[in-house]
Amino acid sequence: MQLIRKSIWHLLLIGLFLSETGLTQTVQPTQGLFEWQKGDSIVHLTGYADFGYDDSSTSNSTFSIGRFAPIFHYMYGEKFLLEGELEFELEDEGSGTETQTKLEYLAIDLFLNDYMTLVAGKFLSPIGQFRQNLHPTWINKLPSAPLGFGHGGAAPLADVGLQLRGGFHMLGKKANYAVFWSNGPTLKLDGGELEIETEGENSDGNDNKGIGGRFGLFPFDSLEIGISYAKAKAGLTGEENRDYQVVGADFTAHPDSIKNLALRGEFVKTELGAGGITASEKRTLTAGYLQASYQVDELKIEPVIRYGEFKSEAETTTTNRQTAVGVNYLFASNMIGKVAYEFNRPKESAANENFSLQLAYGF
Amino acid sequence: MKYFIIILLLVFSGLSVLADEEKAVPPPDFANGAKVWAKTCARCHNMRPASDYRDDLWRPVIYHMRVRANLTGQETRDILKFLQESN
Repeated sequence: MQLIRKSIWHLLLIGLFLSETGLTQTVQPTQGLFEWQKGDSIVHLTGYADFGYDDSSTSNSTFSIGRFAPIFHYMYGEKFLLEGELEFELEDEGSGTETQTKLEYLAIDLFLNDYMTLVAGKFLSPIGQFRQNLHPTWINKLPSAPLGFGHGGAAPLADVGLQLRGGFHMLGKKANYAVFWSNGPTLKLDGGELEIETEGENSDGNDNKGIGGRFGLFPFDSLEIGISYAKAKAGLTGEENRDYQVVGADFTAHPDSIKNLALRGEFVKTELGAGGITASEKRTLTAGYLQASYQVDELKIEPVIRYGEFKSEAETTTTNRQTAVGVNYLFASNMIGKVAYEFNRPKESAANENFSLQLAYGF
Repeated sequence: MKYFIIILLLVFSGLSVLADEEKAVPPPDFANGAKVWAKTCARCHNMRPASDYRDDLWRPVIYHMRVRANLTGQETRDILKFLQESN
């Protein structure tokens, strides 16, 4: 009997201790949520997909599935977020119905404090704006990426490594930053052509890591200007490393005086120094674009115009210039129908045109 | 290696600030959330109304946007409160 009484006292004391130390406390549910919506962990599936039609003056007209890009979020409390985007695409003509799969990014975000997030893994390049914020088809105002801002262009696409980024207020102005330390680019030969691979290699081709980042400032609430820089070394297997450098500048403006008008522009220049044995000459890739769009709320339409240039200088120089005009219809904020016409005026070859339709859905 | 050390130093300084911050985090501000939501989201994409997601799902969505749009922690909490309470 004494043993039972003693045990009850012990249990009461342990219960009191646990309740005081908070070890028995559970996460307080937010008011109004069902039981299954409570808890520290949450899984969320989002992403985007698109379908299109193209009629080019240089090739057959075609229907095509652009891409299906599911994004997975796994969040724990308010300290960690795992985010990963897959990209599924059907191969181009001649390869049947093979599906190409890519891991666009996979990163663990650790929210260190209100102004600092550590991003570890494969992340979208923070150089400029298009790649990190605008490339999903339900966000991009035109069916295509600006010249030089897609795969094989002047702007780097992704990196594997560590990135520190965040936003803060400085002298009453909002500012943001991103700095990274990564594997950097690699060089590859594709049919004898030298390619600078910037899609985020999972292993470093040399012992030299790439560094870079972007700083953005809002001198006014309606204007953001940003500058970017990256530096690394890259070389073909068995050949000496070459200097690699990227500089960039970008802006986004939403003038208060003209509601629904969005202006943006970006410039990026990538230089690969001379060196090595294969295609050893210096290589410079330069790209830039200016874009204006205006949303007519009542009609749910949005006219867009974009001018872009992409110049590749090596042994030979190629310059492509493109003017794209389009009109979007907003079925919903995340479901957009696009009609666009692109006028391509390369300097060194014949002009060509392309008519596009695209249905893009951000889910 | 020196860049790795610099990043580590920044991370550790961030973690030390974190310890201080957790002591006094201002409550989320609905009005500021509405303001930041209106100004920030449309810079890149069409505005997503509160009804697009359930209250609980807005949490990973807005923290994903915190990284993309470089929101501060306070702005993130403010927008989250605005969207959840507008739903």
